Amino acid sequence: MPLRNKTLLLFWIALIVFLGWDWLHSAPINHRLEPPVVAVGSGQAPTGGHCSAF
Amino acid sequence: MSRITLSLTIALFTAALAWSVSLRQAILFVVGLGMGGILAGARFGFTTGWRRLIEERDPSGVIAQIGLLAVAAAISMPILQLFPGDLMAALGPPSVSLLVGAFVFGAAMQIADGCGSGTLYKAGLGIPLNMAILPMFTLGSFLGSAHLDRWLSLGAIAPVGLVKEFGAGGAFGLTVLGLAIAGLLALGWSRRNSSETRVPWLDRRLVIAGIGLALLAALNLIIAGQPWGVVYGFGLWGAKIATAAGVFDPTSNAFWSQPGNFSALTQSTFLDVTTITNLGILAGALWISARKSPASKPLTGQQWIIGLLAGFLLGYSSRLAFGCNVGAMVSGISTGSVHGWIWVVMAFAGSLIGVRLRRRFSF
Repeated sequence: MPLRNKTLLLFWIALIVFLGWDWLHSAPINHRLEPPVVAVGSGQAPTGGHCSAF
Repeated sequence: MSRITLSLTIALFTAALAWSVSLRQAILFVVGLGMGGILAGARFGFTTGWRRLIEERDPSGVIAQIGLLAVAAAISMPILQLFPGDLMAALGPPSVSLLVGAFVFGAAMQIADGCGSGTLYKAGLGIPLNMAILPMFTLGSFLGSAHLDRWLSLGAIAPVGLVKEFGAGGAFGLTVLGLAIAGLLALGWSRRNSSETRVPWLDRRLVIAGIGLALLAALNLIIAGQPWGVVYGFGLWGAKIATAAGVFDPTSNAFWSQPGNFSALTQSTFLDVTTITNLGILAGALWISARKSPASKPLTGQQWIIGLLAGFLLGYSSRLAFGCNVGAMVSGISTGSVHGWIWVVMAFAGSLIGVRLRRRFSF
C-alpha cells in the first residue's frame, strides 16, 4: 500500500475512533427533542453553536 | 477504495444518521458532501484565489469568490428578514480580537495552504500536511475559544447586522456595492500586469463552483437555522477531549460554560451542525479523491514544523476572529455582518505577509 494511502487510512481510523468514543460517552439522544427538519418556518430559534459566537 | 464502495458507505452512514440522530443532521451531512465535492472537484480554494491575485495578478479566483458572496447574500438576506425568529446571522463583534485574529489567520492560511474549508477538503483528498494540520487546528480552535473572553476584554463593540439596520434591500445594496469595489480593485491590480500573457479574469469552472457553494451555504442556513461554519466544530472536539482528559473544566470557562456551548459538550458531536457539515466536506473530498489522487510534494522537517505551527495558529486565530473564510467571510458578509468585512480587510493584509513567508520557507 502506498504511503499516502496508509496515512489516509490512519487519518480516517483516528477520526472514526474519536467519533465512536464520543458517541459512547455522550448523553443518549432524545428523539422527542429532535430539531425541526427545516428551520425556516419552524417557529423555533436556532440553538446550535457557530464560529461567530462569543 | 472504489467510488462504488465509498458511495455505499456514505449512504449507510447517512441512513444511520437519519435513524439514530435526526433527519435534519442527515440532510445537513448531504449538504456537506456537496460542499466537499465542489471544493475538491473544482479545487475551489479561498487561499489559492487570494495568493494568485497577490503573486500572479490573476483575479479569477477572487472574482469567483465575489460571485459566491453575491449569490449567497441575495438568498440569505431576504429570508433572514422574513424569518428573524427562525434564523440567525453570523454576527461577530468588531473588536481588537477580530483585528488580530483575522490578520494572523490570513498569514497562517497562506503558509498552511488552506483556510478552514481548505484544510478540510485537502485532508479529505489525502494531502499529508493538511491531514496532520487538522488535530493542530482543533487544539488551536479549542484554546482560542477558551481564551476568547480575555481577548474580548481588550476592546469590543456590539455586533452590527446590516439586515437589522437597513432591511434586506438596503443590506443587499450595501453588500453589492462593497463587492463591486472589491472586484474593481482586483481587476485594477490585475491590469497592472505588464507581461503580454495577461491572465483571463473569469474562470468558468470557479464561477460555477462558487455559485454551487453559495446555493449550498443558503441551504445550510435554511435547514439548520444558522449560517455555514467550520471552526466551532473543531473547538468543540478539542474541548470534549480536554474535558474528558481532566485538563479542562468547562464550568469555570466564560465561553464553554454558556448554556448552549455547555450543552454541546455533553451531547453527541453528531448533533452539532458544524461537525456534521465538516464530516460531509471530508467525505465529499474523499469521494472525489477516489478517482484521482492529488499530487503533493514531499516536505522537509522544517516545512513540517512551520506547517503544523501554522495549523495551530489557524485554529487559535479563527476563534479570535469569529470565524474563518467560511464562518466570517462567506457567512458573515452574506448575512450582513460588518465583522465579515473587517475580517476580509485584515485577513488580506495578513495574506500579504503570509505569501512572503510561504516563499521564505519554500512551500
